[in-house]
Amino acid sequence: MSIDARNHEDAETFDGSGDESGGESDDDNRSPIQRWADDWIRNPEKAYAVMLVFLGGVLLTTSLFPLYWLFNVAMAPPGQTDIPLLPETIDLSAFVQVFQQVPFARFMFNSLFYAFTVTVFVLLVASLAGYAFGRLEFRGKTPLLFALLVLSFFPPATLFIPLFRAFNQQVPMLGLFTLPVEIYGTPGAVVAPLSAFTMPLAIFILTTFYGQIPDGLEEAARVEGTTRIGALFRVIMPLSAPGVATAGILTFITVYTEFFFSFLMTGNSAAEWAPVVDGVIAFQTQYTVRYDLQAAASLIAIVPVAILVVVAQDKIISGLTQGALKE
Amino acid sequence: MSIAVAVEQGRSEVSGGADGLLTRLGTWTENLSEQAYAYLLLAPGFLVLLLFAFWPLASAIRMSFFADVITSGSLGEFVGLQNYVRLLTNTNALAPAAFVDPSFETPILEQALFMTVGFAVLSVTGETLLGFLYAMLMKAEYKGRRLVRLFIILPWAIPIVIQGMIFFLLFRPGYGLLTEPLQQLGIFSSLPLNTTFDAFVIVTVADVWKTSAFMALLILAGLESVNQDLYEVADVMGASRWQRFRYITFPLVFPVLMVAMLFRTMGALRVYGIIESTTVGCSTVPSMTCLVTQMMFGSATQYGSAAAVSVLIAIVVGLFIMVYLGFIRRSNQSLGLA
Repeated sequence: MSIDARNHEDAETFDGSGDESGGESDDDNRSPIQRWADDWIRNPEKAYAVMLVFLGGVLLTTSLFPLYWLFNVAMAPPGQTDIPLLPETIDLSAFVQVFQQVPFARFMFNSLFYAFTVTVFVLLVASLAGYAFGRLEFRGKTPLLFALLVLSFFPPATLFIPLFRAFNQQVPMLGLFTLPVEIYGTPGAVVAPLSAFTMPLAIFILTTFYGQIPDGLEEAARVEGTTRIGALFRVIMPLSAPGVATAGILTFITVYTEFFFSFLMTGNSAAEWAPVVDGVIAFQTQYTVRYDLQAAASLIAIVPVAILVVVAQDKIISGLTQGALKE
Repeated sequence: MSIAVAVEQGRSEVSGGADGLLTRLGTWTENLSEQAYAYLLLAPGFLVLLLFAFWPLASAIRMSFFADVITSGSLGEFVGLQNYVRLLTNTNALAPAAFVDPSFETPILEQALFMTVGFAVLSVTGETLLGFLYAMLMKAEYKGRRLVRLFIILPWAIPIVIQGMIFFLLFRPGYGLLTEPLQQLGIFSSLPLNTTFDAFVIVTVADVWKTSAFMALLILAGLESVNQDLYEVADVMGASRWQRFRYITFPLVFPVLMVAMLFRTMGALRVYGIIESTTVGCSTVPSMTCLVTQMMFGSATQYGSAAAVSVLIAIVVGLFIMVYLGFIRRSNQSLGLA
């Protein structure tokens, strides 16, 4: 009797709001199935809503669990190896220690600096190229676009040895000139190659967007006396804002999460422009590994990109929807 | 509205008189032919690409035709295609590690190819399925959707090294949360990160976790650009939900899905970072890119062979791309777009 009553209540809340708590408590209750089935057959939209909530719960758990686990590790006392599923104490001191033990803020700054510089540079240069590919007719257009595509066939490691030799051993670039010795260990050694790697995709995205702007708008601006270059920056770019945002965000996140070049082209101390990766690794010495600090440092490192995603998610989605994929 | 504003701004800034040099530059470009103007605009981008992408690429391809000099980081004499022949037929006595088949009977490259293609197929399939579900969840309208979207996109924005660390901590021998349960179920060994099969599964799962979000974003873009009127027509005609998916959503999203899968396949075929950062290591899950890095940075430097492997990777990637482009073309034709 009491069980029935409880089930009945469950079913009620379930019907009423279809919220998440209702969606997850159904496993062990068999008796109201008939009722639900009747209700759902009469009202299939409700069944879909419930399924969506349940599926959503499962998917979000999948998506967030690894991060939750990282948080859990960060809260565990130093040296504790067997970490329970639920934290025993709420201890956030690791998040403070991260900044005390190594110049973690500087590591973060370095990575953000790379991401920001590359993004600005790539957007500027890729805009010019995107305009040419998207709006102008010229000989060699298809071969040049194809050359951009072929670049992405090769793993970044392929390009590393020649670049490393050029930056570090002064092997002449193009067989013509050598780079100054001082460049290795400066931001330039990371920004230049990463700009080159992220540029093809940015050019492809911007080409599509710039190509979609009706000619009339550009002509109108030109009649008003705007120069060709002026039309690009004052008319075409602002009108393609979602595309520019998409290309920018993709570039930023690619550089920020990049591992190979930023790691190998720099020293490993913060003052030598090492990226945040080195900051996380810094808690690992020959004899000890502070997993709690590594976990806390990792979570802190995720914050800037998380903020970017919060702020820009609508732009990314509308940018991709409006054109990046139409070709 | 915004168009008018932009045009207005353009006019006011020009009439406001920019500084001399820019104006003169602007006037100079006015007089160029379209062709010359296009080349001028392409110049900065292609200069950067020439120095930091095309030149290193060309010099790597050139390296693949020279013999390895194991003791020093330089190149030996010109050997033509010998590196390729040796890699493909396995007489490479200096292969970095025994890898999957310790008997040395299977050519190293064949093992790496099998591993890499297997990884690409499994991870891209997983990402596509999960990405589709995520995309539907991001598309549906409900309270708190922004937060859900954030949670779904977040893994994609996580640096590879941190992603690797998360999965290392989950599967750490002895202490990892999932190590013991999976071992007791008889699925994994006690050292999952050092067992090829287990580590392969872990790396694949880690990759699916991170990049499903990216897939979801692209698929969502496809879903959003489907003309909503079609669904209304379908409703009027009494189509079921499944029919709406089967005859409207899927065919219209298919080209986008192909592009998304193409992007991800290209990434997956070059997999390396996650293998290294989970501490699985190249000797446990030898991907093709692993071979390249091991040959470059290993104890015996083999620049020539490493470069040859990367050219082979590019060929494999190119083959996959051709297959995808074929699919995309066919689907465009069937939609009457091409």
